[in-house]
Amino acid sequence: MKNYSYLMTLFAAVALTFSSCKSYDPVPENEGEVITDVILKFTELNSAGSPTGTPIEVRATDPDGLELGNGPTIETITLARGKTYLMEVSLFNSIENEDITVEIEEEKEEHQFFFLGTAFQGTAILTYAYDDEDIDGNPVGLRGIVQTIGFNTAQMRVVLRHDLNKNFTGANNPNWENFVQAGGETDLDITFPVVLN
Amino acid sequence: MSKPIVFLFSFLLIAANSFGQEECLLVLRGKVVHEENNEPIEGAYVWLIDSEKGAVTDSQGIFRISKICQGEQTLKVQYLGHKDNLEKVNIQSNMSITIRLMAEDVQLEGVEIHGHEDALLTTNTVSGIYGDELRISRGQNLGETLRRIPGVTTYSSGSSIQKPVIHGLHSNRILILNNGVRLEGQQWGADHAPEIDPFVAREISVVKGAETVRFGPDAMGGVILVNPAPLPVKGGQSGEIDLIGFSNGRGITGSVGLLGGSKKIKGLGYWIQSSSRIAGNLQTPDYMLDNTGAREFNFSGALGYSNSKLGTEVYFSHFQTTIGILTDSHTGNLSDLESIIENGRPFRTPDFTYDIQNPKQNVDHQLLKLKGHYHLADGAKLNIQYAFQRNHRQEYDRRRGELNSRPSLDLVLFTNTLDLSYNHQTRKNWNGAIGFQLIQQANSNIPGTGVVPLIPNYDMFNVGFFAIEKFTSGPLEIEGGLRYDFRHVESARVNRGGVLQEDVFDFNNFSAFIGAMYPISRNLTFNTNFGTAWRPPSINEQFSQGLHHGLAAIEIGNPDFVSEQSFKWMNTLNYSGSKVNVELTGYTNTIKNYIYLNPTEDRFVSLRGTFNVFEYLQTDAFFMGTDLSAIWTVTSHWELFSRGSIVRATNTTEDTFLPFIPTDRLETGLSYNFQTGVSENNSKISFSNLAVAKQHREPDFDLAPAPPAYMIWNLGFQTSFKMGNDKLNFGFQVTNLFDKAYKDYMNRFRYFSHELGRNVLIKLNYEF
Repeated sequence: MKNYSYLMTLFAAVALTFSSCKSYDPVPENEGEVITDVILKFTELNSAGSPTGTPIEVRATDPDGLELGNGPTIETITLARGKTYLMEVSLFNSIENEDITVEIEEEKEEHQFFFLGTAFQGTAILTYAYDDEDIDGNPVGLRGIVQTIGFNTAQMRVVLRHDLNKNFTGANNPNWENFVQAGGETDLDITFPVVLN
Repeated sequence: MSKPIVFLFSFLLIAANSFGQEECLLVLRGKVVHEENNEPIEGAYVWLIDSEKGAVTDSQGIFRISKICQGEQTLKVQYLGHKDNLEKVNIQSNMSITIRLMAEDVQLEGVEIHGHEDALLTTNTVSGIYGDELRISRGQNLGETLRRIPGVTTYSSGSSIQKPVIHGLHSNRILILNNGVRLEGQQWGADHAPEIDPFVAREISVVKGAETVRFGPDAMGGVILVNPAPLPVKGGQSGEIDLIGFSNGRGITGSVGLLGGSKKIKGLGYWIQSSSRIAGNLQTPDYMLDNTGAREFNFSGALGYSNSKLGTEVYFSHFQTTIGILTDSHTGNLSDLESIIENGRPFRTPDFTYDIQNPKQNVDHQLLKLKGHYHLADGAKLNIQYAFQRNHRQEYDRRRGELNSRPSLDLVLFTNTLDLSYNHQTRKNWNGAIGFQLIQQANSNIPGTGVVPLIPNYDMFNVGFFAIEKFTSGPLEIEGGLRYDFRHVESARVNRGGVLQEDVFDFNNFSAFIGAMYPISRNLTFNTNFGTAWRPPSINEQFSQGLHHGLAAIEIGNPDFVSEQSFKWMNTLNYSGSKVNVELTGYTNTIKNYIYLNPTEDRFVSLRGTFNVFEYLQTDAFFMGTDLSAIWTVTSHWELFSRGSIVRATNTTEDTFLPFIPTDRLETGLSYNFQTGVSENNSKISFSNLAVAKQHREPDFDLAPAPPAYMIWNLGFQTSFKMGNDKLNFGFQVTNLFDKAYKDYMNRFRYFSHELGRNVLIKLNYEF
């Protein structure tokens, strides 16, 4: 009989444990990582290299982030032919109202932009040169100099990579098509139409 | 369908055996017990070799063989993990004998092996790894260890994460029992390896059939039982120390185990064990794999008391691991993935390091079990088992800033299980069990990941009732069982945009099985089993809605899925002669409402690039296959062994092939024993070849074609030295001897990396 009472105690303990184990109530997560807005700001530079005129802002937006739904909206880059522009990239998370540009600045040595597409191929209509560098003297691409040299319409593909080997041969070329060879992962891959007037 | 066949077959066999007998009416009765403690052994095979008659012992260790002729006969008694007993018996009249069997791998003075351990008695095919074979596989993870069993392969994500596959099924379609407790982790994930330390095991067995009736939902493809050493019941102490060094990953694994019984209180025993592992970057023949180090730390222990009526046990285990994930396997978008697949190998070429960076996994799992049984009158037995489990899984990705130190997936899963069963022996030939199983589970996402959770929080409650009955007549066993389960699930999550999504699900299911086992002759045994099994859709199949990094795909679940139903029929023929042992298994498995991930035509475009869209779908599937294992003792020195398996799996609704189905494989080896007969220091050298075919039956969509067939060679040597009462075992192994570069179809990382190159292992094992 003793043994049965032992079993009963065990059973009671078990019943207690069973009832006390519940899942948490779900809470919303702040998705701090998502990039919903990419803004390219073009400021014309005069022959002395000083800013002139009104800067042009071109946006790519995807308010859903990585959620299935509407695709991104990408504006056209419209610039004047035969000019030099300072191009500044800024990134924003509109879901959490966070400026991602600051985060990239802080981790410059792990990030790099590449500028690809037909705008830089064949009879190129654009040239790009990095105008910033990280602590190791490697380019980043948040700031760069764009020259409009061609006549055609074309496309500019903007790729942001993180965690790449910046010392890899070729990685200092902003138009390097084989950027994947330097390792790393893509954060952004946006193709903007370009029109030169 | 199979039932009449089984009965017909059994009838023919019985009939065949009863003809042509002389006036032989003697009866031999007996009892088989453990040499050490006289506790009865259930399930031992007893054979009168000359008259080709036999029996299997019941739960009291008792057997009965009738219609025996007068004269001297050879009696053979066999039991898993024990030395065969061969003796001459002169039968002149009805007689009764007692046979004592000695454990094969435990020959320790003063330590007594417990007789209360329940042997799994099933008409399904059971294959085990224990003793020397288990020692050879020490240092491998559970998946790798189990590949020694034909029909068992692995589904892996790199070389550190390997999930066992039984007859083409894995994850939630098989069940793993850690010392009798259903292991409840996040099994649904392809990159979620079982949270179990193989060093705990004294024996690992695989039941290849559907065993839902006995063990509950999910046991569709089979069940893996990881059983620790039985608790000693007599005074004394023994132990074991393992030290394993391996070249690939420059790693080391160590384990210590102690086993003992109280001298003061008879029946009180314990064991404790701990193991640890550290390894760095792994190496393929041509390059190093970035961030593939691993750490593991585990401990476990048990304490038990038993007497002739009562048995109790407390068991605790802790498993903890940190695994680095190949950095290149995390791709940003589809074009990244396509580039690396085209490259065929990772872009990064790192140096060796022990450091583990993101992406990585931190997993820990605790299990506490309380178990008791009580022997009632007439051989009946009452069993109760309660277990509590906590599984904590954290997955880290490469992220910006402060987020890098936060997991992107942080799940904690609590599981309570309660098993109650009553075993009875109503009449001589009938015995069985009725039981009740309760599973309660609470899964929570720990807030603060900064990622919308992949799966919701949920509470699950499952109650099952079962009855199993076995009829034994001489050597023939027929067994059947029935089970009913009810499952209730409540899930909740907050979607993007802060919308609370709550769902409630109920699932019901009946499962049943029938099986039979019959020794056709003294060398040949046949068993057959037909079983149904079920599996409710797993939480990711219902709710996934997000990015899967490794596949650069958005996966979409479906909350309306119904349960999968499987019908598995398996037949095994086992021949064991003096020189040759062959086991041949054939099976078919029809699965209704089989859930799989199907690529769609859609592409999802975002600022991060393009992604494939995969959706979970239900279809009907058909699996069939065979397993073969053969050992031929050529001379007393030479032994030849071979094991192979074939699986075919189709989506019968679409008439296409299913993805990630194991390819045909054959392992053949030759070993040389330096000593013949029973020797204290047995030295053995073995050389084996593994040939794996190309998967020609590919699904319509795959990211890359199936890799070509490959062949690798392995070498092994082991010897042992007796040191007083202690024993030192030494092992030397080389896997992938010729450093061959190859890819395996069953590895998800095959798209962009090769399998491991040569690995040299040195193993020291000290028993005291």
